[in-house]
Amino acid sequence: MGDQIARAEEFEKKAEKKLGGWGFFGSKHEDAADLFDKAANAYKLAKSWDQAGAVYVKLASCHLKLDSKHEAANAYADAAHCYKKTNIKESISCLEQSVNLFLEIGRLNMSARYYKEIAELHEQEQNLEQAIVYYERAADLFQSEDVNTTANQCRQKIAQFASQLEQYPKAIEIYEDIARQSLNNNLLKYGVKGHLLNAGICQLCKGDVVAINNALERYQELDPTFSGTREYRLLADLAAAIDDEDVAKFTDAVKEYDSMTQLDAWKTTLLLRVKEALKAKELEEDDLT
Amino acid sequence: MSQVFDGYERQYCELSANLSKKCTTATILDGEQKKQKISEVKAGLDDADTLIRKMDLEARSLPPSVKASLLAKLREYKTDLNNLKTEVKRISSANSNQAARDELLESGMADAMMVAADQRGRLMMSTERLNKSSDRIRESRKVMLETEDLGVSILQDLHQQRQSLLHANNTLHGVDDNISRSKKILTNMSRRMSRNKWIIGSIIAALVIAIILILYFKLAH
Repeated sequence: MGDQIARAEEFEKKAEKKLGGWGFFGSKHEDAADLFDKAANAYKLAKSWDQAGAVYVKLASCHLKLDSKHEAANAYADAAHCYKKTNIKESISCLEQSVNLFLEIGRLNMSARYYKEIAELHEQEQNLEQAIVYYERAADLFQSEDVNTTANQCRQKIAQFASQLEQYPKAIEIYEDIARQSLNNNLLKYGVKGHLLNAGICQLCKGDVVAINNALERYQELDPTFSGTREYRLLADLAAAIDDEDVAKFTDAVKEYDSMTQLDAWKTTLLLRVKEALKAKELEEDDLT
Repeated sequence: MSQVFDGYERQYCELSANLSKKCTTATILDGEQKKQKISEVKAGLDDADTLIRKMDLEARSLPPSVKASLLAKLREYKTDLNNLKTEVKRISSANSNQAARDELLESGMADAMMVAADQRGRLMMSTERLNKSSDRIRESRKVMLETEDLGVSILQDLHQQRQSLLHANNTLHGVDDNISRSKKILTNMSRRMSRNKWIIGSIIAALVIAIILILYFKLAH
C-alpha cells in the first residue's frame, strides 16, 4: 500500500508541473488531467480517501478549463464518493457542484439521482429539513423525466420526514396522491393499503376527528377492498378510541395490530404521539371534573 | 399296527387345523391377546412335533410296503408343520416389532394414559391441543403477512426496474440515431479529404507542368 501512495504522489507532482510550465498549447491540460486521474486511482487503491478526493477536485478544475463540463461533473461526483467515507460535508459540497454542472448540460436524470444522494447523506446526519429540501428537488426532476417510481420513492421519504417534523397536511396529501397513482398500476396496487394506512396515521396525529372519519370514507371510495383489511380496522378502532377518549381501547387496538405485524419505528413514534395527546386530553377532562 | 399310526395321523390333522385357525386369528388380534394366541400356537406346534416323531417311529417299525406310502405322508406333514412354524415366526417377529414400537412410543405417555383415563384430564388435553393449534395458525398467519409485505416491496422494485429498462431502451434509440448521423458525417469528411487531396495533387501537377513549359520556352530561345 505504501508504494501506491508513493506512485500517486509522483503522478500528482508531474501533473502539477505540467500545469505550471508551458507545454504544447493544447495538450497541457489534457495530459495533466490524465495524470491526475491516475494519481487519484492510486490514492483510492491505497485507501487514502481524503487525498483521492482532493485530487479528483483538481481533476475537475482541469476539465472545466478544457470546457468539458460533463467530465468535470463526473470528476466532482467521484470526489464526492471518495469523501463519503471520511468527510461528509466536503462530499455534500462536491455533489452540489456536480449537480449544478449536470443541470447546465441538461442531464436531468443524473442530477436528480445526485440530489437524491445528497438528501440521503443529510438524512444520515439527521438533518431532516435539508433532507426534505433536496428530496423535493430530486422528486421534481424525476417527475419531469417521467420516472415516476423513483419520484414516488423520494416523495414517500419527504412525507415521512414531514410527519416527523409535524407537517401533517403535507404528508397526508403526498400519501393520498401516491395511493391514487398506485391504484391503476397492476404491480403497485398491493402497496396501496400501506400508503392509506400511513395517510390515516397522519390524519390521527392531526387530531381532527371529523376529518378522520371523512378521510376513512374517502379511502373506502378510492379502494373498495380497503375496508376488508386489518389496516382499515385498526384505523377505525383508533378513530373510535379517540372519539371516546379511551386510552385503554387505543392501546388494545394497537396491540392487536402489532401482534400480527410488527409496527416499524416511524409508525410507533407517531402513534405514541397520538396516545400522549389522548392521555393529555383525558387528564384535562379529569382536571375539569 | 397301522391303527396306531392312523390314530396319530388323525390327532395330527386335528392339531394342524386347529393351529392354522389360531394363526389366522392371531394375525387379526394384537396386543395381549395376540401374545396369548401365539404362545398357544407354540405349545400346539410342540405337540405336533412329538406326534410326528411318534408317527415316524411307527412307520419305520411297519413292513416296507406300507412304509413307503406312510413315509411319504409323513414328509407331507413335516412340510406342513414347517410352514406353520415359519408362519408363527413371522407373526411373532412382526408382533415383536410392533411390541417394541409400542413400548418405545408409549413409555412416554404411560403416565398420561393413566391420567387421561379420567374425564377431566381428557378434556384438558383436548383444550391444550386446540390452543396449540390456534397458536400455530396465528404464527403461520404472521409469516404469511410478512411474506405479503416482502412481495409488495419486490413488486415495487420490479416496477422501478421496468421504468429504468424502458428509459434505457429509449436512450439507446437516441444513441442509435446519433451514431448513424455521425457515420454520415465521417463519410462526408473522408470524401472531402480525398477531394482535397486530388485538388492539391492536380494543382501541384499543373504548377510543375507550367514550370517545365516556362523553362522549356526559356531554354528554347
